[in-house]
Amino acid sequence: MSEKGFRSFLDDLEDAGQLKHIRKPVDCRQLSSLGDQVEEATIFEDIIGYPGWRVATALVSTRKRLAIAMGCNENRVAFEFEAKSTKPIEPITVKSAACQEVVMEGDDVDLTTIPLPMMHLFDGGPYISGTFAISKDPEHGSNVGCYRLMYRTPKETGIDLVSPSDMRFYYQRALDKGEPLPIAIAVGVHPLDMLAASYKAPIDADELALAGGLRGQALEMVKCKTLDLEVPADAEIVLEGELLPIGWTADEGPFGEFSQISGDVKWNPIFRIKCITHRRNPIFYMLQMPWENDWLAAPVTEAAGLQALRIASVQPVDIRAPVGSCGYWSLIASIKKRPGEGKNAVTALLSVAEVKFVVVTDDDIDIYDPDELDWAIAFRVQADQDAIILKGARAKHIDPSVKSWLLGKGGLPTTAKLGIDATIPEGVPKILYRRIKSYGRDRFKVEDFE
Amino acid sequence: MSPLAQTIKSALEVDAQQFHDVVDKHMNIPWQEFLRAWGELREADILKRDDAGAYFIEVK
Repeated sequence: MSEKGFRSFLDDLEDAGQLKHIRKPVDCRQLSSLGDQVEEATIFEDIIGYPGWRVATALVSTRKRLAIAMGCNENRVAFEFEAKSTKPIEPITVKSAACQEVVMEGDDVDLTTIPLPMMHLFDGGPYISGTFAISKDPEHGSNVGCYRLMYRTPKETGIDLVSPSDMRFYYQRALDKGEPLPIAIAVGVHPLDMLAASYKAPIDADELALAGGLRGQALEMVKCKTLDLEVPADAEIVLEGELLPIGWTADEGPFGEFSQISGDVKWNPIFRIKCITHRRNPIFYMLQMPWENDWLAAPVTEAAGLQALRIASVQPVDIRAPVGSCGYWSLIASIKKRPGEGKNAVTALLSVAEVKFVVVTDDDIDIYDPDELDWAIAFRVQADQDAIILKGARAKHIDPSVKSWLLGKGGLPTTAKLGIDATIPEGVPKILYRRIKSYGRDRFKVEDFE
Repeated sequence: MSPLAQTIKSALEVDAQQFHDVVDKHMNIPWQEFLRAWGELREADILKRDDAGAYFIEVK
């Protein structure tokens, strides 16, 4: 049995005073709004109409709780993620698993037996928001990602597959052959597994080994009951089924997106479920949008930024993906700069996923201090020399400014990107940036005069 | 079609409604029963969406 899992993380939160128990009966229509009002992570102990079930939410909706998951200081999350990601540990297969204590197959499959929450005001239906989705391609092997599921019928959900991803690529390949794509969805895994799943790894990279590296121990996997796929053995719930070969034709959404926007109706495939397995006393994980998603996105974006800088032979000092950009669309970094590297750093960071705004400073700037950052931009930037604009780069549908509704079903949007080199310009003497300091500040102490 | 699904169907034939409007009108119904009724409408493949994401059903 793994030492780290969804339940051990709940214990970690409990020990840190970061888990609130709500013991009064709660309806599925109340879960999200109640969880949204609690500062801590929340576990609902009594779900009306669902005896034996509990619901946990907002487990990593602050950087503090994400740092608990990582086992490090809040500002070291990205560096910890990057370091551990270089030490992958291959998963191992076990024969029996807690996630298969209860099995529903065939006609018994019924999603309504799971306490699916009503989450946001404009959602198109109840959602399963926190998933660890596994698929496989004959050529590229298995892949893991995070995809939301919208309830449609007791045996079907919608799935958001509009953005470019490895699973979308696998699905397209299956669709081209007129075949369904078998997938398995695990719900209720350790946040480190979710981080690995959301990492924008190269298509042949093994997210399961990355999850093992982040955990510091091999992820235990068990074979699905009805598919040639394996799922995390310590998951709470597993849905086994296939994406129907219908393309992007079924309405899905809106859903409260991690962009902090309600979103709109999208056209997506349908996930048909053939088997549901779960623990005997399962805990449904309701990933609370947007904060939980944003804090899960940030270290992944930051680690990708660190990697991009190192590939560009630039030495990073600090990096952050601001939560105002949902941990995804902006990167701020400080570097130890050699001539020209401000521009190298900017272009490297602009290459990261859908990051569309970048600021790079020298290492004397505290990038966590917005006033420091403004100061660097004000006095180290000439717009005609230090701003870089890239056009026609890959974008995400949920950014309204890319006007994705004009693209039609299945279309992929593009975006322009802006980078600002806020390092001291070449040719400007550093002495001109000496900061004001009171005379004798180190010697004369006010307490001596009180 | 169950009586609850029929009730929702009749309402959506008159007006387009956001999903939360449909939920609000049936707060007294157990959630599982509501979900099953909604599933019946999905299975019947009659739900349409307007530009704001509201559901409606065309009357032929």
